[in-house]
Amino acid sequence: MNMQGTNTSQYSVLSPRYELTRRELLATVGQGFGALALAALLQDDSAAEAAGTGGALAALHHPPRAKRVVQLFMAGAASAIDLFDFKPELVKRHGQPSDFGEPVEAFQNGLGPWLKPIWEFRPHGDSGKLLGEPVAKLGKVVDKLAFVHNVVGKTGVHSQATLLQTTGFQLPGFPGMGSWVSYGLGSLNDNMPTFVVLPDHRGLASNGTKNWDSAFLPAQHSGTVIYPGTPTPIADLFPHQKGDFITSQSEAAAQALMSRLNHEHAAERPGDARLEARIKSYELAAKMQLAAPEALNLADEPEHILKLYGLDHIPSAFDQEINALEETIHFSRKCLVARRLLERGVRFVQIWSGNDNGFPRRNWDSHEDVERDHGPLAAGMARGAAALITDLAQRGLLDETIILWTTEFGRMPSSQGGKGRDHNPYCFTNWLCGGGIRGGVTYGPSDQWGYKPADRDNPTQVYDIHATILHLLGIDHTRLTVRHNGIDRRLTDVHGQVIGELLA
Amino acid sequence: MMRTIIFLLLTLHVLTGAAPAADDFNKTVAAIFERRCLSCHNNKDKKGGLSLVTQRDLLAGGENGAVVAPGKPAESLLLDYVTGDKPAMPKTGPPLAVEEVAAIRAWIAAGAKWPGDLVLRDRSLADANWWSLKPLTRPAVPQIRNPKSKIQNPIDAFIVAKLQERGLAQSPAANPRTLIRRLSFDLIGLPPTPAEVEAFLADKDEQAYERLVYRLLASPQYGERWARHWLDVVHFGETHGYDKDKPRPNAWPYRDYVIRALNSDKPYGRFIEEQLAGDVLYPGTVDGIEALGFIAAGPWDFIGHAELPETKIDGKVARHLDRDDMVQNATGTFLSLTVGCAQCHNHKFDPITQREYYQLQAVFAALDRHDKPYDRDPAVAKRRGEMVKQTAGLASERNKLDEEIKSRGGEELRKLDARIAEQTKAASGKERPEFGYHSAIEPKQDVTKWVQVDLGSPQRIARLEYVACHDDFNGIGAGFGFPLRYKIEASNDPEFKTDVRALVDRTTADVANPGVAPQRVESIDVTARYVRITTTKLAPRLPNDFIFALGELSVLSADGRNLAAGAPVTALDSIEAPVRWRRSNLVDSYYFGQASGAASELAKLAKDREVRLARLLDPETKHKRDELAAATAKAEQELKALPPQQLVYAGTAFRGEGNFAGTGGVTRSIHILARGSVTQPGEEVGPGALACLNLPFQITGTKPGPDVSQLVINSASPGASLLPAKDNEGERRAALARWISDPRNPLTWRSIANRVWQYHFGRGLVDTPNDFGRMGALPTHPELLDWLAVELRGGGQSLKKLHKLIVMSQTYRQTSEISDFGFQNSDLGDRDAPNPKSEIQNPQLSDGENRLLWRANRRRLEAEALRDAVLLVAGKLDTTMGGPSFQDFVIERPEHSPHYAYHLFDPDDPRSHRRSIYRFIVRSQPQPFMTTLDCADPSQRVDKRNESLSALQALVTLNNGFMVVMSRHWAERVEKMSANVDEQAAILFGQALARPPTADERRALAAYIGEYGLANGCRVVLNLSEFVFVD
Repeated sequence: MNMQGTNTSQYSVLSPRYELTRRELLATVGQGFGALALAALLQDDSAAEAAGTGGALAALHHPPRAKRVVQLFMAGAASAIDLFDFKPELVKRHGQPSDFGEPVEAFQNGLGPWLKPIWEFRPHGDSGKLLGEPVAKLGKVVDKLAFVHNVVGKTGVHSQATLLQTTGFQLPGFPGMGSWVSYGLGSLNDNMPTFVVLPDHRGLASNGTKNWDSAFLPAQHSGTVIYPGTPTPIADLFPHQKGDFITSQSEAAAQALMSRLNHEHAAERPGDARLEARIKSYELAAKMQLAAPEALNLADEPEHILKLYGLDHIPSAFDQEINALEETIHFSRKCLVARRLLERGVRFVQIWSGNDNGFPRRNWDSHEDVERDHGPLAAGMARGAAALITDLAQRGLLDETIILWTTEFGRMPSSQGGKGRDHNPYCFTNWLCGGGIRGGVTYGPSDQWGYKPADRDNPTQVYDIHATILHLLGIDHTRLTVRHNGIDRRLTDVHGQVIGELLA
Repeated sequence: MMRTIIFLLLTLHVLTGAAPAADDFNKTVAAIFERRCLSCHNNKDKKGGLSLVTQRDLLAGGENGAVVAPGKPAESLLLDYVTGDKPAMPKTGPPLAVEEVAAIRAWIAAGAKWPGDLVLRDRSLADANWWSLKPLTRPAVPQIRNPKSKIQNPIDAFIVAKLQERGLAQSPAANPRTLIRRLSFDLIGLPPTPAEVEAFLADKDEQAYERLVYRLLASPQYGERWARHWLDVVHFGETHGYDKDKPRPNAWPYRDYVIRALNSDKPYGRFIEEQLAGDVLYPGTVDGIEALGFIAAGPWDFIGHAELPETKIDGKVARHLDRDDMVQNATGTFLSLTVGCAQCHNHKFDPITQREYYQLQAVFAALDRHDKPYDRDPAVAKRRGEMVKQTAGLASERNKLDEEIKSRGGEELRKLDARIAEQTKAASGKERPEFGYHSAIEPKQDVTKWVQVDLGSPQRIARLEYVACHDDFNGIGAGFGFPLRYKIEASNDPEFKTDVRALVDRTTADVANPGVAPQRVESIDVTARYVRITTTKLAPRLPNDFIFALGELSVLSADGRNLAAGAPVTALDSIEAPVRWRRSNLVDSYYFGQASGAASELAKLAKDREVRLARLLDPETKHKRDELAAATAKAEQELKALPPQQLVYAGTAFRGEGNFAGTGGVTRSIHILARGSVTQPGEEVGPGALACLNLPFQITGTKPGPDVSQLVINSASPGASLLPAKDNEGERRAALARWISDPRNPLTWRSIANRVWQYHFGRGLVDTPNDFGRMGALPTHPELLDWLAVELRGGGQSLKKLHKLIVMSQTYRQTSEISDFGFQNSDLGDRDAPNPKSEIQNPQLSDGENRLLWRANRRRLEAEALRDAVLLVAGKLDTTMGGPSFQDFVIERPEHSPHYAYHLFDPDDPRSHRRSIYRFIVRSQPQPFMTTLDCADPSQRVDKRNESLSALQALVTLNNGFMVVMSRHWAERVEKMSANVDEQAAILFGQALARPPTADERRALAAYIGEYGLANGCRVVLNLSEFVFVD
């Protein structure tokens, strides 16, 4: 259903009192049982078209511009000034001792001489946006992107900074953005998880699964981890290998027998909706067993699509050294899988590039050598992201899908003695694209070095990005709350302004 | 609620555009003034010359003149102050809401009317008139006259009284099978065995149920079950969390302490005191140390502490967050308060000031999370304590004597001592973490690498000295990265293409790793500008990782000058990760083990000193000195001979190294942080608790020390003290522990009574067990809660007595089914259905949520109970208690960021077949099976579990390796008992569900087993709703 065409009158304005009642209701239905799960499992599929099934919001706060989100996360901290935010001043002063005009605390004290962008920048698209050479593939879609160059973080510590970008808080114990979206809007297809995470296949970034944890929201709002192209892409979707006594016949008969015994059990205990919901959950599980492998199967993608993503020729082995071909295939595969998941109703897909910040570097934490790590990683990312945007656009899905490119912080305009850069939590770049986003704009410039925002009093914070995305999904970020340990928690804490300049 | 209504009113005004009438002032604008302005703009403080207490004050304005122009919002300064991008006011807390500003604007527009005599007062701090803060007294037990009511104990009287008020009635008792299964899961977390069920059914004695209660409470498995609840609340985990999530191999003693404390029914007050200050209040006990694991239970940011000093902003933030976790864990767990809300400003809803929050931080100001050594054997602990005391005494005697001798020795001795001190420092000086030069990492060993120094101009080289690195990476230690084959050459060509002269050649055979012993090459006599070390066979670092690293290279002239010191270093490649790794470390004149040079110098000086002293000393003093030295040596010897100490990961005032230096017990300065920001420290505060409870917070101490005399108790304000000495950190914790365990502290006893109730009934009498403040829920049965709290407090503080009281009640024993109270089942959903047979109201209409407990709650098994029950029925449960946790994962890449790979673990490994309480709990990668089943997240303080149901949950209970493997084991067990499918079906029901199957069920299951085998039958039963739910 096309949300934009819907008469706005159906979006009831929730009074505060009504919210409270509903929250109280949800918190208490069924003996403290996850009432939302219950709702999700028992709801008539046709009931909540707008918000999906099982969402906490009875109705959206305003007409949405998008239904789905893809978050591209560059773990380790990607350097904006080498890829997206060109600084001629650094070219001019390359090699001169850096002088920030104020004392600077750098994580590894990496305040060597100014270091010019590692790559050439060239203009792209009608907007003439300057892009660094490794991300030139994004040039074809650059007029669809909106850049924010003045994002500031709060810390130069990877773990806290990553949590801040993924959950809005810099300590663990808070739900990821995808969990909030899943919680608020519910599912578009009960046969698939609502929130899917495609991690870097070489390992999880800082904080592991805490970046997509449901925390105090019900467990089904956690990101479901999928490793496309591996023998077990989804844990426990099918019986463990030791279950060789299980056959498709035994499985079908087991489903039937469980259903019968569980129905009898429920019938003897009237008035407990959880028992019916549990029976339904087994039926859904069986449906998911059919739906998920189909969604992950790239074999039926036509040649021109595989070409678009750079997946038409996959070598049997890769170089030991980090290289663009390998990075492209890994990242692009996740992008193509993401598109298939979005088509099948997954609400939120989070794609990671970069594992933990160890050695050899397969992450963006380029303290030693930006060119060596960022080059292949950025090339792979740009190819996959550009293909995803193009592919979604040609299917008419881009209008209702938001894409956010982000990272935990930026990197310093000074070198760290050699070819690397230290952490820069004081300024970095995000870009957005898709449903409701005004393409071809560059918002919030950084200063001449890319060290801090040009206007230091008015930086962009993660809260603003999150508020904007929720806004586009039809949610007022101040009104999607859950009470936990005495506080009405929300994704944006007590902050956040929708960035009007980014809206189409 | 009030707030909501105010907000709604405001919203309505805004929406309708109507100006508020003057009598609305009190509800809208006055309320804003009182909450947000009067803490500064009162008649006493009059910040900016402005007071907003009366109309007169308002109209008098402030230093900048009138603040309000009645009828003219645009000309009113007040609105300028509270609006704009960054409103100047209020100074603390968030800016006023749009609706609040609109209300003020509307009020000014309407003439800024103020009821003449209305005097406002500061309400920035919520008042203490709140149910949970009121003193705890024993309420009267209601008299129940209805003979139909079953009253086992006062709990039932409270419950029935409330039911009667609403026209509701108790449900009948559950049947014995249901009761024993419920009670067994509830008290020990395991299902009853078929034999236990049959014995209970056969026991017709009136006391049978009570005996069952006693037996289960006495079982050691009770502690294992209830410790898990406690560990949820205190967010216990066994890795740090955050980045590079390292394991805590010594966290488990705290878990064992909790189990032991519960099994021994430790008085609750002592349980609290041990966890906060056991080392101070119960010195010399194992419990007093292991309990301190409580303080360290939560997450810890390794990078924020180990890689960042306290002087950097990010280092400060990490330590602030760390203390915040300690404060919140203590106050949330024991008091059910949300003091964390007072971090940036006074608590918005509860009477907790920002100052008090930081006073609580000051209690923990000397602590860090670290392994703490202790003796498990009390005799050894005692002996160690004595010996430490004795050596300290001896040292002090020696010092006294030495002072005396020094005064005899004059200037000459003083100078000598100064040199000794200098050399001692050099010799014992901490090794610096400047390891050396480190090449890029190679997948192959035979890669050529080089590093070279530029001496600036051709220099005459006489000798070379070079030293390998020391890094504990992968346990390599001394000699890290030292190449197996290498050569050293000199040249005047920086490219080393021409004019190359060999100084050392070790390329023909592997060299033994020299450790950190300096390697010397003598009598060289070559003149050259560049010296290059080239490796032809790299050092192994990991199985498929090879590197070249070197700590120091000295190029010495004939007169012993180091020509390479500080010289430019170049290399084929280099990992620059200062301070540990960088090229310049190669020539920084520092290397690991350098201190040993100072040691030999020191030995010489000490000898010199002895000679001098011998001349100064009279025989008597000399004898005394020798005696002291001998006694010291003996004591030290004995200390060394004591059994090695154990470690527990705990909150401790330790002395560390590098960035993670600890405090050694000297408390850090704690300041009130404006808006919670470490870059805006305000006034410094000392330790304290909360004034709203009106209980003394006293640092009197069981161990009077010099610090106590320096302490000034602020008697005017109970619950707070002025700045005390910096080294009384233990006393601070002891004071907080006593303040919490005080029998007069109403929160403490209400909190724990409510928690215990919740775990028995599935819902607390207060439904927000971590929040008894205004944002929390109200108690459904306030008198019952108080009665239970008083019973617990007065009944030896025994949790087991409380359990017994609860499970013996008729309320607990009710059926969970919705009984026919005279209704037809078909009537139950029908709101208008008359009640033909009875006066009793239909409870499903008036209390569908069963808040009043007209029946028992059916509950889904927690993740641990489900897993343990599966192990038990499968015949695989290993009941070994205590000790290090089992790990049901494989750790990959432990050296950097450990990957906890659960999918690589063999679920058949018997080491993992212990109860779930002994599972090793990882924070960054929680166990997926347990997590899907809603087990507690160790990163948050979990007061009640979520109870979700999803397709993903169905998938893990069907397909996870553990479930699949246990289905097979259960089948193997049952096959030995009977080969007959009918009997097998009956056995499965008995073992898993505590009942025989009906004839239909038996037929269906037996047919399935006959067709697909017993293992598949077991898997079906483990997935039945009846197995997963407890009636």
